[in-house]
Amino acid sequence: MARRAARNLEVGLHVNIVVCMKETPSTTAEKRFGPDMRLERRKEDAIINPFDEYGIEEGLRLQEKHAGSTVTILCMGPATATETLRKALAMGGDRAVLVSDPALAGSDAIGTARVLAAALQKIGFDIALFSNAAADAYGGVVPGATAAILDMPLLSYATKLDIDGASATIERQADVGFNTVQANLPALVSVTKAINEPRYPSMKGIMASKKKPLDTFSLADLGISPEQVGAAGSREQVVSAEKVSTQRKGEIYVGNEGAAERVVAFLVENKVL
Amino acid sequence: MSNDVWALAELNSGRLATISLQLASKAAELAGAFGGQSAAVALGPGARAAAADLGACGVGTVFASEGDVYSQYLAQPYAEALAALIQQHQPKLVLYGGTNFGRDVAARVAAKLGLGIEYNVNEVSVQGDQVMMTVPAFGGAQAVQMRFVGSGTQLLGARQNAFPTVRAGGSASVQEVPAPAAPANGAKITGTFGTEGAAEAGHLGQAPDGHDIWMPAAARAKLEEAQVIVSGGRGLGGPEGFRQIEDLAAALGASVGASRAAVDAGWIPYTHQVGQTGKTVKPTVYIACGISGAVQHKAGMGTSGLIIAINKDKEAPIFGFCDLGIVGDLNVVVPQLTAAVKQRKGE
Ligand SMILES: Cc1cc2nc3c(=O)[nH]c(=O)nc-3n(C[C@H](O)[C@H](O)[C@H](O)COP(=O)(O)OP(=O)(O)OC[C@H]3O[C@@H](n4cnc5c(N)ncnc54)[C@H](O)[C@@H]3O)c2cc1C
Ligand SMILES: Nc1ncnc2c1ncn2[C@@H]1O[C@H](COP(=O)(O)O)[C@@H](O)[C@H]1O
Repeated sequence: MARRAARNLEVGLHVNIVVCMKETPSTTAEKRFGPDMRLERRKEDAIINPFDEYGIEEGLRLQEKHAGSTVTILCMGPATATETLRKALAMGGDRAVLVSDPALAGSDAIGTARVLAAALQKIGFDIALFSNAAADAYGGVVPGATAAILDMPLLSYATKLDIDGASATIERQADVGFNTVQANLPALVSVTKAINEPRYPSMKGIMASKKKPLDTFSLADLGISPEQVGAAGSREQVVSAEKVSTQRKGEIYVGNEGAAERVVAFLVENKVL
Repeated sequence: MSNDVWALAELNSGRLATISLQLASKAAELAGAFGGQSAAVALGPGARAAAADLGACGVGTVFASEGDVYSQYLAQPYAEALAALIQQHQPKLVLYGGTNFGRDVAARVAAKLGLGIEYNVNEVSVQGDQVMMTVPAFGGAQAVQMRFVGSGTQLLGARQNAFPTVRAGGSASVQEVPAPAAPANGAKITGTFGTEGAAEAGHLGQAPDGHDIWMPAAARAKLEEAQVIVSGGRGLGGPEGFRQIEDLAAALGASVGASRAAVDAGWIPYTHQVGQTGKTVKPTVYIACGISGAVQHKAGMGTSGLIIAINKDKEAPIFGFCDLGIVGDLNVVVPQLTAAVKQRKGE
């Protein structure tokens, strides 16, 4: 079970913070599917999922507020993701953990959640931070799935986060308006882009990142059997992919009469309305 | 496993979300294609009352569960109730909406029961006993065909407006479902505020590929993040012309942009200027009203998803790079369009 750091408001709150960071292809990189219908990932195009910069930033802010807290950055990805983890560590944080195993290739959201849940348990945490969705596929399923596997609360779509000795409180972007939501620690939190402005790494941070500890876990280290994850455990499959035409449609409608109706119909056809 | 298709309905303060009607309509259609029954699952205050609307969209059954627990906790009680229903009835497919609510609940259910889950689905088709899903990838540059593998119920997450609402008429039988107990370790809702609308609150909507667009904390209402922009130019004739633009923008939940000519004339502040010396924007839809389409303007909006132009001059350059061009008088078309959008949205 996750270990909670001893907390005593008198002597300060030591929070064990883990930020889950996904490595994604850069938004400008040329992307294509390989013959196995899996995204071809090239190491030089890999970046921190831009939305996870908000999770990292929030973790660092918590640490600044509660001196003595620790920030660990956790990623499941290919062995080369160590480079992306170093970039995250350049923003700040104490150490990183990479879960990497050949059997993980092709994992779906639930497989990923199984791995992250096991790694979070092994590391131990008070707060596990996620972004609400990753910029590659905008799935937004991993945080909720990880919480369900751990049987823990997820404070989702946070636009503001505060913690005290025993609980975390967020302001949450609901589908209509906001909620304030509270959960006992340990808890999972997913953040939106509205929560902060991520910092840029400083020169000092970049230098320091090279010396920070970075551990690698295999599936065996987490006690997960290979058939539960990776392509073997995946329940969805890409059948084919095709380029969407970027040609403008160029339809011209002449006259005031019926023009408004044509625009509305066009918006409906294109699923805007 | 049955051939049944369900829709997970969504209630906001007792009000049924529009996406729920879209999901119910599609569930009824797909259940017909697979030769199964259709149902909707409505959880929370207002669930029973929602059954009439859901039934009108064709679902045969509404599993309704009301109880205070649903308004006291996020996701967990919903996931528990839905998971129990799925285990009991083994539907083939459950449609959920790609909303914050839908994703939170579906993710938990999929993880708990080990189900297949797909998201951001834009289109579905039936091939034999399989459902084929079209999902946008890489910012909408590619359309990917997906299918589920393996057995068991599958969870299909649909984008907003992916499916039309079809009020075919009909009424659902309501099956009462007991509410679960409060979770032992829950995310407890302690307050609600800002319910006047998500657009003002920070969630601007969804991009063509389904990702959420948030207003950054530092600069709310950033034009660069807007999903829909209504822009005005010299053709508005004066500052009062922007009132029509603002009305249309309000009806669409859009932000307001402008050409440099309108900004230089002092009709609207510079922060609204789109173009080479203004902002670069990439909304899903850009509606240019009374803008000629100079290259310097195009430099700031040319990569928008869809471009709609309203201009009285059929030779205006903007008609050379739009998806829909209206050759007409904006003073007539824009107010009519505002009224038609409001009517469509049922306002
Ligand atoms: C260095 C440089 C940088 C620039 N940067 C920018 C920039 O960042 N952004 C920018 O926008 N411009 C920029 N410009 C200016 C640009 O060249 C154009 O002058 C400007 O975009 C024109 O604005 P407009 O389309 O509103 O006006 P116009 O070109 O005058 O067009 C007005 C249009 O309204 C139509 N119209 C009039 N009445 C009606 C009616 N009742 N109903 C329907 N249509 C009507 C007309 O047919 C006409 O096509 C820049 C120029 C330079 C040289
Ligand atoms: N492979 C991964 N490694 C670490 N964190 C991940 C991984 N995949 C997803 N996450 C976390 O889950 C969030 C949502 O991802 P997704 O559900 O894929 O959109 C991301 O922003 C990360 O915080």
